[in-house]
Amino acid sequence: MDTRKSVVWSEIISRWTITLGGLLVIVAVLTIMVFLFWVAVPLIGGGKQVGSVSYALPSSEKTAWLYADEFQTIGIRVGDQGEVLNFHIPSGQVISRSNVPFEGRRLTASAGTLERDRVLLGFDDGSVQFMRLRVETRTTPGADFPQAASKIDGRDFQFEDSVYTRVLTGDYRTLRPLNEVGATEKISDLPIVAVDYRVGGTVERPTIAFATVDANAQVRVSQSRAQRNMMTGAEIVRTETTELPSMNLKPGVKVTSVLLSGSADRAIVATDDGVVYRYDLRDPSKPILAESKRILPEGVAITAMTFLGGEATLVVGGSDSTVAVFFWLQIEGSQTGDGFELVQSRLHDQSAVGAVLGLSEAQRDKSFVAIDDKGNVRVTHSTSDQVLFGFKRSGDPAKPVTALIFPRSDGVLLVSDTGQVNGWQYEDPHPEITLKVLFGKIWYEGYKQPEWIWQSTAATDLAEPKYSLVPLIFGTIKAAFYAMLFGAPIALLAAIYTSEFIHRSVRATVKPLMETMESLPTVILGFIAALVLAPLVEEWIGAVLLGFIAVPMGLMLGAFIWQTLPHQTVVRYDGMPKFLLISASIVLSVYVSIQLGPLFEIVLFYGDFKAWTTGIVGTGTPFMFLILLPLSYVAVSILFSRYAGHLYKAYVGDRERTVAGRLDMLRWLGLLLAAAMLSLLLASLLTLLGYDPRGGFIDSYQQRNALVVGFVMAFAVIPNIYTLAEDALSSVPGHLRAGSLACGATPWQTAMWIILPTAASGVFSALMMGMGRAVGETMIVVMAAGNTPVMEWNVFSGLRTLSANIAIELGEAVKDGTNYRVLFLAALTLFIMTFFINTIAELIRQRFRKRAFQL
Amino acid sequence: MASTDNGTLPGQKPRGRVVRRFTADLSATGEPALWALGGALAIGVILISGFLFLIAWNGFATFWPKPIAKVELLSGTTIAGEPTRAGEYRVGQDILALLSPSQKAGIEQNLGFANRVLYKTANFDLYGDDFRWVSEFEAAKVEYPKDLFLLERQQWGAFVGRIKGMTIRGEQLPFDYQLLQKEQSEARKRFAEIRKLERKDIGAVNYYLDQERLKIRKAILKHGEGSQEAQRIAKAAEAKIAQLQAQFTELQKRINDIRTQDRQYRVLLEEIGSRTLDTELSQIVRFYPANDISFFNKLGIYLSRWVEFLTTEPREANTQGGVLPAIFGTVGMTLMMVIFVAPFGVITALYLREYAKQGRLTSIVRISVNNLAGVPSIVYGVFGLGFFAYIVGGGIDGLFFPERLPNPTFGTGGILWASLTLALLTVPVVIVATEEALSAVPRSMREGSLACGASKWQTIYYVILPKAFPGIMTGLILAMARGAGEVAPLMLVGVVKLAPALPFDGFFPFIHLERSFMHLGFHIFDVGFQSRNSEAGKPMVFVTTLLLLGLIVAMQSGAIHIRNRLKRKYASDNF
Repeated sequence: MDTRKSVVWSEIISRWTITLGGLLVIVAVLTIMVFLFWVAVPLIGGGKQVGSVSYALPSSEKTAWLYADEFQTIGIRVGDQGEVLNFHIPSGQVISRSNVPFEGRRLTASAGTLERDRVLLGFDDGSVQFMRLRVETRTTPGADFPQAASKIDGRDFQFEDSVYTRVLTGDYRTLRPLNEVGATEKISDLPIVAVDYRVGGTVERPTIAFATVDANAQVRVSQSRAQRNMMTGAEIVRTETTELPSMNLKPGVKVTSVLLSGSADRAIVATDDGVVYRYDLRDPSKPILAESKRILPEGVAITAMTFLGGEATLVVGGSDSTVAVFFWLQIEGSQTGDGFELVQSRLHDQSAVGAVLGLSEAQRDKSFVAIDDKGNVRVTHSTSDQVLFGFKRSGDPAKPVTALIFPRSDGVLLVSDTGQVNGWQYEDPHPEITLKVLFGKIWYEGYKQPEWIWQSTAATDLAEPKYSLVPLIFGTIKAAFYAMLFGAPIALLAAIYTSEFIHRSVRATVKPLMETMESLPTVILGFIAALVLAPLVEEWIGAVLLGFIAVPMGLMLGAFIWQTLPHQTVVRYDGMPKFLLISASIVLSVYVSIQLGPLFEIVLFYGDFKAWTTGIVGTGTPFMFLILLPLSYVAVSILFSRYAGHLYKAYVGDRERTVAGRLDMLRWLGLLLAAAMLSLLLASLLTLLGYDPRGGFIDSYQQRNALVVGFVMAFAVIPNIYTLAEDALSSVPGHLRAGSLACGATPWQTAMWIILPTAASGVFSALMMGMGRAVGETMIVVMAAGNTPVMEWNVFSGLRTLSANIAIELGEAVKDGTNYRVLFLAALTLFIMTFFINTIAELIRQRFRKRAFQL
Repeated sequence: MASTDNGTLPGQKPRGRVVRRFTADLSATGEPALWALGGALAIGVILISGFLFLIAWNGFATFWPKPIAKVELLSGTTIAGEPTRAGEYRVGQDILALLSPSQKAGIEQNLGFANRVLYKTANFDLYGDDFRWVSEFEAAKVEYPKDLFLLERQQWGAFVGRIKGMTIRGEQLPFDYQLLQKEQSEARKRFAEIRKLERKDIGAVNYYLDQERLKIRKAILKHGEGSQEAQRIAKAAEAKIAQLQAQFTELQKRINDIRTQDRQYRVLLEEIGSRTLDTELSQIVRFYPANDISFFNKLGIYLSRWVEFLTTEPREANTQGGVLPAIFGTVGMTLMMVIFVAPFGVITALYLREYAKQGRLTSIVRISVNNLAGVPSIVYGVFGLGFFAYIVGGGIDGLFFPERLPNPTFGTGGILWASLTLALLTVPVVIVATEEALSAVPRSMREGSLACGASKWQTIYYVILPKAFPGIMTGLILAMARGAGEVAPLMLVGVVKLAPALPFDGFFPFIHLERSFMHLGFHIFDVGFQSRNSEAGKPMVFVTTLLLLGLIVAMQSGAIHIRNRLKRKYASDNF
């Protein structure tokens, strides 16, 4: 009889389904890894150029100032004869023209604010003129689109002096240049050679500040406050001008530029012999020349100088092609007039060989564009120290040029003196990220030195986010380290005891209990850690510290008392009663610690441990004494058994068990006393040598700290390690055990010298698995670790792990934004860390299984 | 160091042997080391039992009515509140400086520590705080007057104080406990009625309104703006909308009627410092004279609080009321996860045990399984958000729900993505358990089936799977226990602190897989850490913890129970 078709088909279908389904696991793991990688990789991919234009403006004037709107549609150029030219950036078509009445004055200097919309022009008769450039943006509904509009290019239309751009919704974005000419102010009798202009305050009440330098190198700072007359509504501008102290320039040295900081509290003047002068204007009535710093060799001119966005970082370009970045930092013991000093933080890539012709900053991030006299145009992100784009300008490369970065940091526009326009449009979503930013030390604005910092949301709009993963990786390792420090010994010792020494009936109750621990949701552990344990530990820190000594002591004391008991008693109560006795001794030690905790704190830590940790009171001796105590004990007992061990053995000899037990207790107490003395001696010696643990692994106490996290996370890893280690120990073949015991070894000797070495690889694998769990644990850390991304080993300070950071920040991160991708990179890092740990553990375990099977 | 005499069989663990002659070399027995080993185990056992006890004690005790103490302070003020906990603390220098010499001496005698009690004074709307610490040296007199009431309110948490009077049907009456009780339960019924009208009926109207509006948008997207088809649909929908809006006004009017009636039933409260508060009776959830109440009444309040906790929605930013939506969310999400994880896990285990040749490929599969088990849960959350919600969900939105864009439907966290993410997370548990169960099926049964002429799939389907079923169930239950306790990945893929609507309701298609949901684990995190006052939320957190833990331990022990029965069964089958 033939097999029925349905049977054959179901056979084929099932085989394929199951095989494919089985391999789906590999697919799942690979998908996770590849997907995380795929999301993270654009971070360091760099940007791409998406368009460029090049044409000449129909104008004979030289360029004094340049403005562009955020849609890269309309550019406004102010010429040196007063012509204001509004042109369509993509095509070069002139939209409209107007004129500023210069009235016979010759333009000698020009400057503007960071947004480039407010301009100050300086003239040869010592006067300055204000201007406001603006592009008004409206949305015109599709139905209202003027039919008479003429087409400029594939995208835009012009009607009268407005440019219409069709957007996705079918409406038209309408842009219209609106330029206002402001007041004129007479500042000096000599020609103005450099100006700078800042506008602060509120929209209703702007405060205007500007700096001028005249041909005599006299620097002046003027501040105007617009006041509106309540009755008439007229605006009165009051200007107060302060003359700054002289720089005493050498004859022939000329000022090349002046800068005013954002809040007008510093003025910086650059000269053509490479020196920068910094004025402190915090007290307007008493301006001081705080510092003069040579930043380029003698004879090298500072050709361009600008602030980066945020106006706390100075970029300087020289005629020798140098582009360097400076901060002014408060430095202790500084010789300058105000305690601050200009510090060079970066020297940007020098492969561009020409003298720097111009510098211009971006408004939204810390990038800038530099143009040299060889025609190179380089867009550089300062903090991440990477050249984002390099372009070559057309026309004569040595001609002076005015440049800007578009407001959305998505392109560069240049207009040379001959009216030659170069524009490049690019996309670079993550200019601030490089591998060095993610993993290396970066010198951020306002910091004293390069550091690893995680601060993904900046305090202000102009401060930059800081994305170093190192503090997070450090936090992860720190939390895992303290968790393993508490968890690993407990889990391993408990596993050995369960597998080798405990009665079967006890084991049947104890093991499931420990396994229940594994299924405890970590959110519960975290909650207990943060809301119950952390305040308790803070309040009873003395008792907790004492407990670390008292519990082992109590156990040892119990063991030595047990040794003095007669043989029959020991035999009778072995098993459950003994285990209960062990538990009782722990409970008793904890009780004693709680009772003596305050006393302990008074004796060792001047009554207040938390005050002690700050380093105000006392010395490091008491804590070092506690740390060194176990080490001293080990040292002392090794010395004893080496030099007096045989004498002691001979003396104890064949005595009764009870007597031998008493002698042994005496020996223990003696050794303990010796160890305490040694420890005290060493601790005092260390203090004398000037070592103090405070400031290192001990520092000021925070309620949510690594001690609490380690303790509770140990709770999460103990069952993991315990179960796996116990399995490994139990799977050591019974005949090894039997053989050892038959040769006369005690159970202790068997466990120590036969079972443990055989199962070592399995036990090690268990430890690795526990480590993997500790590295990835999230909820406990989120709740109990305080989440401060600091890099210190201090047991009493908080930490922020990769996992907690993801849990906290990913919910708010904008999809495909920089933070989103960096968080995916954090997840990938975590994945790779645990992947290695787990794969190694699994390989070791497979080898151990094979070996155990062979035995 | 010896125990009973029983000869050990080879391969079995030796449990004892007789030491005939005992030498005094104590180092061989390693007694101190043994105590260290035993101590470690004891620490583990004490920790876990203490932990379970702590949660059980706090969880069970929370709802028990506590007495209200009236404390007169030396400073002259009087406070009233439930004593919540007591403790010792170190008295700060600034406080010490203000104390009298005798008080100072007392503290110094106690090494600078003093006892204090935390009173839950409630009345958050009057005091701006729920709790107050009172040090032992501050208190002049503590008593328990019988006229103090505890009133649980719909808003602002509890009120502690006296009841001065009441207004029934607009008529002012002196306080009468029996009558007030009766009227309060009536008022609560009215409150429930308003709630029902607001939530259910108006909710339905809003739902249908939304549907009609979406219909219009969909028609425009499909047929183009201004097309005849779109205009026809829009017209029909607008008629429906008008009708629904009329319904809405009608319902609103009914609610207002009940509200007006409700305002005639009021109660006048007075806190311990004689400030009074006039509130609607329907705002009082429960009230009782805390110091004048019998054991059985206490028991009744205790049980009614549990019932409220398990069957109602949360109020007061989740710190009061019940957790029903969270229970729903947890159970629903976990069940849905099982639907995804069961086939995946079982098929992989079948592949590993029945189909694959043991070799490099299976070893890679095993390493993959192991890695899936070892990858931190938060990484799954990241993957779930980026891949399931944004990519898969975003794709679904673009294809099927373009009329709702830019508001995401599936393109954000939701119960479907949460359960898929957790399925990925728990699949190793199922694979390992199923493999174990499959390998426990005796070889003889397989061979018998094949010898009878059954095909491989028939053998698996009719012989092996039924036999392994309890083992697979164990795996699934363990996976559920693991899944129900995970919070970190859920925070990224759809859990919210207060879900506007359950993922299951009476509107077609009844199960809304795209909705966000509440979860017991996240509830604990949220109430414990994000609420205005974590101390006020603490009791709620403990009870929720107890509930979640109970759920998980029940599942866990169920799984262990099934596993043990399975082992016994095969122990007899296998020879």
